Amino acid sequence: MEETNISLGMSESPTAESDWVTLLHDSARSGGQKPQSMPAPVRARWQARSGGPVRSSPILRDGTLYVASIPGAVHAFNVETGRAKWTFQAPGQIHSTPSLSGNRIFFGCDNGKVYALERESGLPAWEASTQGEVWVSPVIRNGLVFFGSSDGHMYAAELETGKERWKQSLDGRIYSSAYAAEKAIYVGSGNGSIYALDSASGKILWTTPTGNGIDSSPALSGDTLLIGSEDFFFYALDVRNGTVKWKYETGLGIMSSPAVSGELVVVGGKDGHLYAWDIPTGELRWKVRAGQVITSPPVIGESVVYIQSGGVVALDNASGKIVWEAWVGSSVQSAPVISGKSIYIASNDGEVYALE
Amino acid sequence: MDRRTFVKRTCLGSAGLLLGGVSDLAADGVVLPTPPPIDVHEPLDAKPSPLRMPGLYPGRVIELFDSRSIVNNRVSQPVISVMLERGMKELTGETSSAAAWAKFVTPADIVGIKINPSGAPACCSSPEIIKEIIKGLESAGVPTRNIVVFDRYAYEMDIGSYQTHLPPGIGVVGIQESKLDASGYDANVYCQASFFGEWETRSYLASLVTQKLTKIINVPTMKDHSAAGVTGCLKNLGYGTFNNVARSHQNPYSFTEPLIGVMCSVEPLRSKAVLNIMDGTRQVWHGGPLTQAQQFIYSAGLLLVGTDPVAMDTIELQAIEKKRQQEGAPSVWARDPKSITTDGREFYHDPAKNLFYRQPGHIAAAGKLGLGVSDLKQIEHRQIALG
Repeated sequence: MEETNISLGMSESPTAESDWVTLLHDSARSGGQKPQSMPAPVRARWQARSGGPVRSSPILRDGTLYVASIPGAVHAFNVETGRAKWTFQAPGQIHSTPSLSGNRIFFGCDNGKVYALERESGLPAWEASTQGEVWVSPVIRNGLVFFGSSDGHMYAAELETGKERWKQSLDGRIYSSAYAAEKAIYVGSGNGSIYALDSASGKILWTTPTGNGIDSSPALSGDTLLIGSEDFFFYALDVRNGTVKWKYETGLGIMSSPAVSGELVVVGGKDGHLYAWDIPTGELRWKVRAGQVITSPPVIGESVVYIQSGGVVALDNASGKIVWEAWVGSSVQSAPVISGKSIYIASNDGEVYALE
Repeated sequence: MDRRTFVKRTCLGSAGLLLGGVSDLAADGVVLPTPPPIDVHEPLDAKPSPLRMPGLYPGRVIELFDSRSIVNNRVSQPVISVMLERGMKELTGETSSAAAWAKFVTPADIVGIKINPSGAPACCSSPEIIKEIIKGLESAGVPTRNIVVFDRYAYEMDIGSYQTHLPPGIGVVGIQESKLDASGYDANVYCQASFFGEWETRSYLASLVTQKLTKIINVPTMKDHSAAGVTGCLKNLGYGTFNNVARSHQNPYSFTEPLIGVMCSVEPLRSKAVLNIMDGTRQVWHGGPLTQAQQFIYSAGLLLVGTDPVAMDTIELQAIEKKRQQEGAPSVWARDPKSITTDGREFYHDPAKNLFYRQPGHIAAAGKLGLGVSDLKQIEHRQIALG
């Protein structure tokens, strides 16, 4: 067993309480875990336009909010004013949630490339190529950047240069963002299988099939890997060998990615429900209708879980009871960033909000 | 008009059919407004194809049923594979699937598979069917890189997870990202009319259709439709490749007849749409096209195959009407002012309510434009039960 307390071992944990460096806060997909329970927002401190629909999630570091929009623009907004410090125009559309590491920002593009930009200037540092669009969020660990492509391959590139270290065919389009542990990465494929790969070589360690394609991104809690499938089931696997510990049937497919907090895992379903399970037992703690269709990942706070669908809904972790709702920021796949007393959201209509 | 023809296509809408004797309009005392003339601008150099609608087999509809095709709301890939192969052979008379597909495509074609993701995830074109169509195209020699799965709205395709399900190498294209994005449409091919005094009177055809694709395989779903009566082959093609179409219906009136048929008659769309494969594994009998309410969706286990969109939609209309009757819902032909509501929530929960006077006559109107056969007596409807 190589991973135990993954959230402590990650190289890309936030450097300050307000940072939110990748999809669902940190590379552990904790969804924040420790942000304060955000009170119901009463106003928008600022609102900005991103120039087109936003399908990805914003990220945050050192007072700068980074937002990538479908038309290919990556914006660096000052979180105090909402003014853009810089904008980088990629040559293709962007569906990928960026990730931060050191002084660089990384994201995939529909032109088949992954870009690394200098965080302060927005100038390009390197680019890596695949043969299909890259919608996933690059995940960074131990000097490598891991990303999947719709060309059916998983890639590892060197963090500093973008030079390809390995690629591995997974027999299906990859829209699942990998989870990177110390020695292995875990990811789902459009062919319906969940894979564990050796981080250093890309060699497949184990494979577990599900009944349909996967675009959910996995999370890890102890030795349990958690992921949804389009086969309507949510899976908890033994991370050591891929054995199914438990699975739970929802009403439709699952595109949303799970967020974990302690022994609680929460995910949204295309059936419009938000589900919360006890990780060790698979017991359903609660199930709440939180939208018509939920495809975005939830974010977990200390006692509150947030989901962005038709708007933003905050629910009590323990009961699933709705605490507050803010009807701005419709989302297909974007998730909010919680920081201090602010919540930052990007919407499918291209607006970016700082709510407080 | 440079490189365009200019044609008025009218007199086939409600007024025309009213004269033809659709009695329920008068019987209910509802007088529907007469549709305006629709100006059609299409390329002068568009050469009608021998495969153009109604295609190689006018009036022929192959209906396949297999109860195992959908179980617990999940579509079975192996069962669909058998159904589609049988359907293609039955339609064409060929003994091999590859030969059947070769009737419609060549290795040089750029083939678009027009799906219907509206209503995803509850009821949309099943990815399992799309995958079998891709195999069929490849069996006829079409390179993977020449196959594009498309629809107007990228976000609806995302929700349907088509990008995940399809094999690597297949193009997945949403023509527009937002409601007002017109950049993916051809400024030289459009239908123009003012239905309700709207400012934007043009609907443009997608550039993907006019400039890139050489063939289209149409994959509609079987649904009732609040404005059109049903949505099938014709609506999926017309309203799924032209923009700015929602303006054709405004509570309580709908000009989906004649606009749907007129759009389908526009070249090059008419020539490129060579085959229809209707996904009837699920059927929506109320709340279409967008409902997510499972109580109005049932597992019918059907697949319809044909080249004639009018004949196929006529069969679909019959099926939806039969189901609505079984469920005690009013006919889609009904013109009862008491059924009309402006409250979307009421519509989505009550099968007796609707937002518009539906226009199922759009199918017959399309037939009068030469797109196919709408007379049930003339339709060769072959029903095949496989399991």
